[in-house]
Amino acid sequence: MAKIFVVDDEPDVVELLRTILELEGFEVESACEGRVALARILADPPDLLILDLMMPGLDGMEMLKLLRLDPQGADLPVIIVSARTGQIDQIGSLQLGANAYICKPFSNRELIAQVRQLLGEEAS
Amino acid sequence: MVSVVVITLVASGGALVFSKHRSLTRSMERSARTFAALVSLPLANSVDNYRDTGHEILRQVVARYTELNPNLIRLQVVDVTGREAMDARLTAGKWVLNAYPRTARSPSVSSGELEPRIASLRLSGRRVAGPGMGRMYRVVAPAVETWGRHTYTLICYFSYARVNRDIIRAAAVTTFFLLSGVFLAYVVSVVLARSITQNVERLHSGVRRISASRFDERVSVDSGDEIQDLAESFNSMADRLQTSIGALREAYGRLESLDQAKRSLLATVSHELKTPLTALRGYLELLEEGRLGGLSSEAGRAVDICLKNVGRLTKRIEELVELARLERGTGLVITEQIDLGNFVKGIVETMWPRLEEKELRCTWTAAPDIPRVIGNSEHLERAFLNLLDNAIKFTPEAGTIRIVVEQEERNEVPGVRIRVVDNGIGIPGDQLENVFDRFYQIDQTSRRRYGGLGLGLALVKRAVELHHGEVSVESAPEEGSTFIVWLPVDGGERNRPGASSDRLGESSETAPSEA
Repeated sequence: MAKIFVVDDEPDVVELLRTILELEGFEVESACEGRVALARILADPPDLLILDLMMPGLDGMEMLKLLRLDPQGADLPVIIVSARTGQIDQIGSLQLGANAYICKPFSNRELIAQVRQLLGEEAS
Repeated sequence: MVSVVVITLVASGGALVFSKHRSLTRSMERSARTFAALVSLPLANSVDNYRDTGHEILRQVVARYTELNPNLIRLQVVDVTGREAMDARLTAGKWVLNAYPRTARSPSVSSGELEPRIASLRLSGRRVAGPGMGRMYRVVAPAVETWGRHTYTLICYFSYARVNRDIIRAAAVTTFFLLSGVFLAYVVSVVLARSITQNVERLHSGVRRISASRFDERVSVDSGDEIQDLAESFNSMADRLQTSIGALREAYGRLESLDQAKRSLLATVSHELKTPLTALRGYLELLEEGRLGGLSSEAGRAVDICLKNVGRLTKRIEELVELARLERGTGLVITEQIDLGNFVKGIVETMWPRLEEKELRCTWTAAPDIPRVIGNSEHLERAFLNLLDNAIKFTPEAGTIRIVVEQEERNEVPGVRIRVVDNGIGIPGDQLENVFDRFYQIDQTSRRRYGGLGLGLALVKRAVELHHGEVSVESAPEEGSTFIVWLPVDGGERNRPGASSDRLGESSETAPSEA
């Protein structure tokens, strides 16, 4: 069973993601803050990371940069889920090493399809 | 200029010396004649009395007379036949006297020119060349006694040396004053010119500093003339300029902070609106799919309606964010090569479900060889989606929408024209020019019936303008509308000399400002 780590400063969104993913049969861990999340991820790497961009403290972009610098996090699949819709944010995130970019409010199906694809599973 | 002044000065100096020379010469000659006239008879008498004996007395008499005229250099007393009775000469500063007794055979005046004058009863003066002494003035004065006896004639010679010396002295003095005058004038003019140019230079450098945006600079000129006046009015102009510039900067600063506030407000608002929508949409979708337990059909309908409205809300927010971003106009990358034929086809395909929903017929035609257009696909896509969305919205069921892509040159600029033609409700003529305004709806009925904030066409207009294109509309009520977009092939590259800075603007401005 794949383990997915969710980072978002909004508890309701974390809760939603947890519900959706758990219904799909994934194991979900979450954090509301970038530094805590980074420490936990590097200590116990998940199979996939869902990351918000706009967060107080260490924001998503910074966290992604630090993650990619660490050998533990270099190959971890990352999906950015953000309210930012500008092309520049999408391109910037992908350049920093994100694997996919989904705009909020997202479609559940799209999210799950992305997750499964990145985990190398068949879409359900 | 200078040569004219010098020539004038030299000429006037020359004229001065010349006239002085003339008057001195004349006055010397006059006094010489007077001397001869006065002296001739007494001297002749003395000679007559003492020529035989008493040469010492004669020497004293002559010495008395020679003191009377400083120019005198020779006194000669001859009898009427031209034989000398006495000859006194100034030799090396001393008078040497020769007197001849009547018995001696004295020398005779040999000049044929002198003879008639000696015999004459009239006094005559003449300039003659003296032996080794330069020019001299010779006066021949007959000594005629009151009763008419004429036995002797006085011949006196006068030197011009004194006159010449005086003239040279006068010329030297004149030249000295002339030269010192010229020198003084030169010094004064140089000093004056220097102070003027210095002040002008100061003024000039002040102007240069101000034009280099150093508005706190002032010019200090204390010359008490027109230049000082100029400097003072220049300073007061600089004062006013500084005040105005200060006010402008302040206003600009306020505007900038306002703009900054607007951007961060936009970012916050967008984030704050989208986050709750994310939760809403996610849970509603889970409900709709029955993943959170079965729903009654009414509850299912309610969830559908909620979802639809979440979608609408999301779209409106996107429009607002997009419009705000386009109106800033910064951070727009216009570098992609876009094949508008295929681009429009893709957009029609995206909208296909909605076209089918309203049973609309949509055709698109693209002329062959449509050139690629340089642009930003994200913004153009949104613009054309909005245009098509608009056409679908205002075309009744089973209507027709046509999209035509053609090549067209405007003002000698090659470009591509896209026409979106519908046969919908059309737009009244008096409303045509307003349809591209923000938040514009034809009327309140329209707002209720068709929804939306009235941002769609404003977005289209702004996106097209950022590509330096043009958008227009032709319409007649109940017959339909035609929206025409024209985009230049080069994406407006010719209008953007700093095209590369747009790309810089992208990374530095858009990233932090948009949610």
